[in-house]
Amino acid sequence: MQEREIAEKLEASFRKVFNMNTLEIKREMTANDIDKWDSLTHMLLISEIEDTFEIRFKLKELNRMKNVGDMIDLISEKLQ
Amino acid sequence: MAFTSFNFLIFFPLVLILYWLTPGKYRYITLLIASYFFYINVKPVLALVLFGVSAAAWGFALLMSGTRNEKKRRTYFLVNIIIVLLPLVFFKYFSAINNALLKYLTEIRLNWPLPEMRFILPIGISFYTFMALGYAIDVYNDELKAERNPGIIGLFISFFPLILSGPIERAGNMLPQFRKAQSPDFALIAKGLQLILWGYFMKLVVADRIGIYVTSVYSHVEHHNGTSLLFASMLYPFQLYADLGGYSLIAIGCSNILGYKIIPNFNRPFFAPTMAEFWRRWHMSLITWLTDYVYTPLSFALRKYKVWGIVCALLLTFLLSGIWHGATMTFLMWGLMQGIFLSAEALLNQRKSIIEKKYSLEKKRWYIVAGIVFTFLMFSSSMVFSRAATFHDAMVVYNKIFTEHGPLFVGSPSTMIYLGCGLILLLLKDFLDEFYPHKIKLFDNDNTIVRTMSYSAIIIIILLIGVFDSSQFIYFQF
Repeated sequence: MQEREIAEKLEASFRKVFNMNTLEIKREMTANDIDKWDSLTHMLLISEIEDTFEIRFKLKELNRMKNVGDMIDLISEKLQ
Repeated sequence: MAFTSFNFLIFFPLVLILYWLTPGKYRYITLLIASYFFYINVKPVLALVLFGVSAAAWGFALLMSGTRNEKKRRTYFLVNIIIVLLPLVFFKYFSAINNALLKYLTEIRLNWPLPEMRFILPIGISFYTFMALGYAIDVYNDELKAERNPGIIGLFISFFPLILSGPIERAGNMLPQFRKAQSPDFALIAKGLQLILWGYFMKLVVADRIGIYVTSVYSHVEHHNGTSLLFASMLYPFQLYADLGGYSLIAIGCSNILGYKIIPNFNRPFFAPTMAEFWRRWHMSLITWLTDYVYTPLSFALRKYKVWGIVCALLLTFLLSGIWHGATMTFLMWGLMQGIFLSAEALLNQRKSIIEKKYSLEKKRWYIVAGIVFTFLMFSSSMVFSRAATFHDAMVVYNKIFTEHGPLFVGSPSTMIYLGCGLILLLLKDFLDEFYPHKIKLFDNDNTIVRTMSYSAIIIIILLIGVFDSSQFIYFQF
């Protein structure tokens, strides 16, 4: 899957979890940029991403995701 | 040696002189010795527990990083966790478990006379245990490299400004600072002095004054009417904020003067419009610790249950926090209430945000105020369990609040007047910092006269209406 395709699917997951239909994600975006992105919604997002891409994260990998860019990279790593 | 004791006012400047006289490379040794001196002053034998926990944290981290064999690493990790946790569990829960067993044995008529065993809880044990656990977990998760120098780990776990009640620091933040040779940073020293002054104000003027009233009401709940109990229950969250918050500012300020930057513990909690936001502003170092090491692994394990997994993880995390505060029904109930409030919010979140969007409520002033008041009421209602001596007392408080009204117990009028003055000043500062930052500046005004006047006013207020009969800090008991 191309990075652009991953980003598009990821954006759909973000919109669903945060209930924001017009949300646009960027690589450098962090939890500070979205009001509703806290430790509670984060795990909903992780679970949504796992279902969308049919991948499974490890607990250790969560700490590696510091922004949206890290997320995209990790997803593409998992898909290969 | 509490921060409010006369001894500390001599100890700290002395340490500071010795610290700056020591060559930069060895300053951590001076601090390590000072920290052990500080702790030994509390009760010498308990310093052995501190030493043991530090030695285990240092040694097992090295063992873990010395092997790539996953099985071995895991074993070292588990042994490390058990050894570090053992003293805390023993000192904290021995009596509770012993009493429960005794009660059960008596009930089934299996009792014989036993000498009563009582242990005092080594002061600060929860806080340094949490720091040692965090270090072990970080090394195990490859978040952090194991430190070879036992002196640095020893200092991290025993660092005297933080050992009695936190903030619960992280090895990732502290170890690099301890490794580096510090040189005096005057801006940081000034900031530290400012925090210490405000910390003493919070503790001596606000917390201890409110404490006089709350203690007099809560020690005899059966003698007071619902009005007084309601008033005391509404005041207690402010007392606790000023007590632990004041302590934290002094701890952070002392660390700043020594050249170390410390994570904050409170961020104007009473202006939070939701419970989730409240817990991001209240006892932050404990909450982020619990989030990282308890809530995240739990909610990760339960993530396939979606929002219900989160609810479960929240309830368990706050129950654990309650049990940590004390192995009693009251603290269990307190933890459960926080878990229920946060879960309810998480479950209603989607619906709430739809309504907020529809009527564009989020920016409306009345809506924010209503949120702040509602959050405060929820939190203070849960704090009845944290303050009441027994579960029965807490139930009496609730019952009387709803049924028995009457004139407010005033006690001594001076207490009420000083209490009001202190609390208004504290909340006013928080209010300005929250809603008008950088607009009205007093302590960091560019004008020297305004600055000096503000500091002098606070010092005079502390000396005039501070409570100096030296009560302990509330969190020393945990």
